[in-house]
Amino acid sequence: MLSFALTVLLDGISYGMVLFIISVGLTVTMGLMRVINLAHGSFAMIGGYVAGYLTQHGVDFFLALLLATVAAGLLGALCEVTVIRPLYRKGELAQVLLTIGIVFVVTALITEIFGAFPYRVEFPVYLTQPLDIGFRTYPAYRLFLILVGGIIALILWLLIEGSLYGAKLRAAVDNPRMARAVGMNVSLLFTATFIVGTALAGLGGAIGAGILSLEPSYALKYVVLFLVVVIVGGEGSFKGSFVAAMALGIIDTTGKYFVAAAAPYLLYAAVFALLLWRPQGILPPKSLA
Amino acid sequence: MRKLLSGICALGVVAMTGSASAETFKIGLIASYTGAFATWGTQFQNAIEAFQSIHGKSVKGPKGEIIDVQLVYRDAGSAGPDKAKQLAEELVLREKVSMLGGFELSPHAMSVADISKQAKVPIVVMNAATASITRGSPYYVRTSLTIPQWGQAIGKWAAENGIKKVYTITSDYAPGHDAEAYFHKSFKAAGGEIVGADRTALRETNFAVYMEKALQAKPDAVYMFQPGGSPSISFVKAFSERGLKQAGIKLLGNGEFAELYLPHFSDDVIGTISVNHYTETNTRPENKIMRDQLIKQFGEKGVTDIASVGAWDAMALIYIALREHGASADGLKYIDAMKGKTLASPRGPIMIDPEERDIIQNIYIRRIEKVGGKLQNVDIATIPMVKDPWKIDNPVKR
Repeated sequence: MLSFALTVLLDGISYGMVLFIISVGLTVTMGLMRVINLAHGSFAMIGGYVAGYLTQHGVDFFLALLLATVAAGLLGALCEVTVIRPLYRKGELAQVLLTIGIVFVVTALITEIFGAFPYRVEFPVYLTQPLDIGFRTYPAYRLFLILVGGIIALILWLLIEGSLYGAKLRAAVDNPRMARAVGMNVSLLFTATFIVGTALAGLGGAIGAGILSLEPSYALKYVVLFLVVVIVGGEGSFKGSFVAAMALGIIDTTGKYFVAAAAPYLLYAAVFALLLWRPQGILPPKSLA
Repeated sequence: MRKLLSGICALGVVAMTGSASAETFKIGLIASYTGAFATWGTQFQNAIEAFQSIHGKSVKGPKGEIIDVQLVYRDAGSAGPDKAKQLAEELVLREKVSMLGGFELSPHAMSVADISKQAKVPIVVMNAATASITRGSPYYVRTSLTIPQWGQAIGKWAAENGIKKVYTITSDYAPGHDAEAYFHKSFKAAGGEIVGADRTALRETNFAVYMEKALQAKPDAVYMFQPGGSPSISFVKAFSERGLKQAGIKLLGNGEFAELYLPHFSDDVIGTISVNHYTETNTRPENKIMRDQLIKQFGEKGVTDIASVGAWDAMALIYIALREHGASADGLKYIDAMKGKTLASPRGPIMIDPEERDIIQNIYIRRIEKVGGKLQNVDIATIPMVKDPWKIDNPVKR
C-alpha cells in the first residue's frame, strides 16, 4: 500500500514539475507586468521543437536542451521588446487579442516547417527505460523530470529570496509604482524576467515532451493548464505556482487512479474549490494578499 | 436578313448541342485542411488527384457522351458539424454539386443527412466510421470502415491466439466506445476475460496512471483505442517506459499504427499488433498502382493511408455510377449503381452491401516489425469479407 501511494505521488509530482517549469515564467509575466500572455505556451512549444529537431539530427540531448532554452529565451526577448512592451497598461482585451494572435502565427509557422504530425524529442536510451528504485521499477524519465524540476525550483528560490535581483523583483511585483519611484529600472527588470520566463518555458517544453507531446496545437491545447497553475498559485507568486503545480499534478493523477471516469472534470472541480477557498490563489504575493 | 438570322440561330443550336456533349459532373468534397484533423483533407485530395491522373478527369456516359468530373474542395476546419452542414448547403445550392464526399469525422457525415434527402444528393463517406451513419439517409454510401469491424475482428483473433486476459484503455468518444464494446463482446464470446477497462480523455497524452493500473492487473495484453497522432504516440511511450513491454504484456491497437504515423513512433512500438482494413505495404497490383502514382505526384507526402484508399475507392465507384447513368440522373440511381458492386481495391476485395450501402471487406491483423530499417506493418492474419457487426446486431425494423 505504501509503495502504491508512493507511485501515485511520484507520477503526480513528475507531472507537476513539468507544469511548474513551464508556468513559472507566466506567473511572473502576469503578476509583475500585468500582461495576460496567452502566447506563453508558444515558447514552450518552440523550445520543444528546437530540442526535437536537434536531437533527431544527432545533437547531444543535454546540449539540445541548453540550445532550446536559449532559443526560447532569445525569441522571448525579441517578443518582449517588439510586441509585449507596447502592451503594458493597454488593457486586457488588447493583450488577449494580440497574444492569441501570436499563438496562431506560431502554430501556422510550426505546421509549415515541421508538418501537422506530432514531433518527437529523442531522449537518451537510459531515460526511456524503467529503472529499479528498490521497491519497484519506475520510469527513469519521470525521475529525471523530478530531478530537473527540483533543481530549477531550488535555483529560483535562492535567486528570488536571496539575491538583489530577487529583492527588486519582489518589490516590483508588490508595488511597481513605488519601485519606479525609488529609481529602479523596472523596464529592464521586466525584459530580463520575461527572458528567464520564456527560456524556462522552452526548457519545460523540451524535457516535458514525453508528457505534454509536441504538435502544432500545443500552444493552444495546454495554455489552459498553464493559466490554471498561475491563477491557483496566485499571480506573481513563485512559491504559489510551485505548490499549485504539485497540487494539480497530484490531484489529476490520483483522480485518474480512483475515479478514472470523472478525471477530466476532477481537475477543474479542484481548481474551482481552491479558488473559492482562496480567490487570490494559494500563496498570493503581498500586494494582493 | 431572315435567312441570316435563322442561320445564326442554327449555328447557335449547333454550338449548344456541341457543348452539351461534354457535360460536367460536380462533386463537393468536405474535409478538414486545417486544425487537429488537417491531414485528412490533403490525404483525400491527393488520392483523388492521383486517381484522376490514372483514370482520367472525364468518364464516358451511357450514350457515349463525355462527362467531365470536377471536384470542389471545402475546408471543414476540424470544426463542429454546423460548419460541415453549412458547407454542404453552399456546395449544393451555389456550386450545384450533384454529389458530396469526404467526411473524416462522424458528426460531420451525420450533419448532412437531411440535405442529402432534400436535394437528392448522394454522399460518399470516405472515412467517418460510426456504424449507424449509413442508416441516416438512403443517399449514404461508405467506402471506409465501421469501428465494430475492427473491434470485433481483433477481439476474436486475440482470444484465439493465446491471449486470455486483456486490460482495455480506450478514448472517451464515440469511436472509442464502439471499439471497446465490440472488443469486449467478441473477446469474451471467444473465451477471453477483461481484467480492467479505462476510458481516457479525448486528447490525453499523460498515460502514466492507466499504465500503472494495467501493470498491476497483470493482463496478457492491453487493448488500446486512441486518436492517431500524439495520444497514441504518448500511449506507446508510457507503455514501454512503465515496463509493461518488458513484463511481456502485448499491445493491441487499431488505426493508430498506420504507416503515416509510424515514423513518429520510437522502436518501442515494434511487436505491437493492430487491426485494420488496409495494410499500406500490401503487394497487390492495385495497391502498387495507387502508391506509385501518389509518390510520383506528391513525393514523400504521397504516403497512402486509410484516407487515400477510402477516397480512391469512392472515385472508382462514382466513375462506375457515371458510366451507367450519365451526368444528370436522379441521386438514387447512382446509389443503386453502387449497391452490390465489388471492386479490387488497393486494400483487397471490397463490396458495397446491397442492403445497407455500407462496406464489406477483408480485415487484416498486422504486427509492427522493422523491415529494411523502417517500421512496417506485416500482415499475420486475414479475416475475409467482414460485414459491419453493428448492423447484424441492429437489423432494420420493417
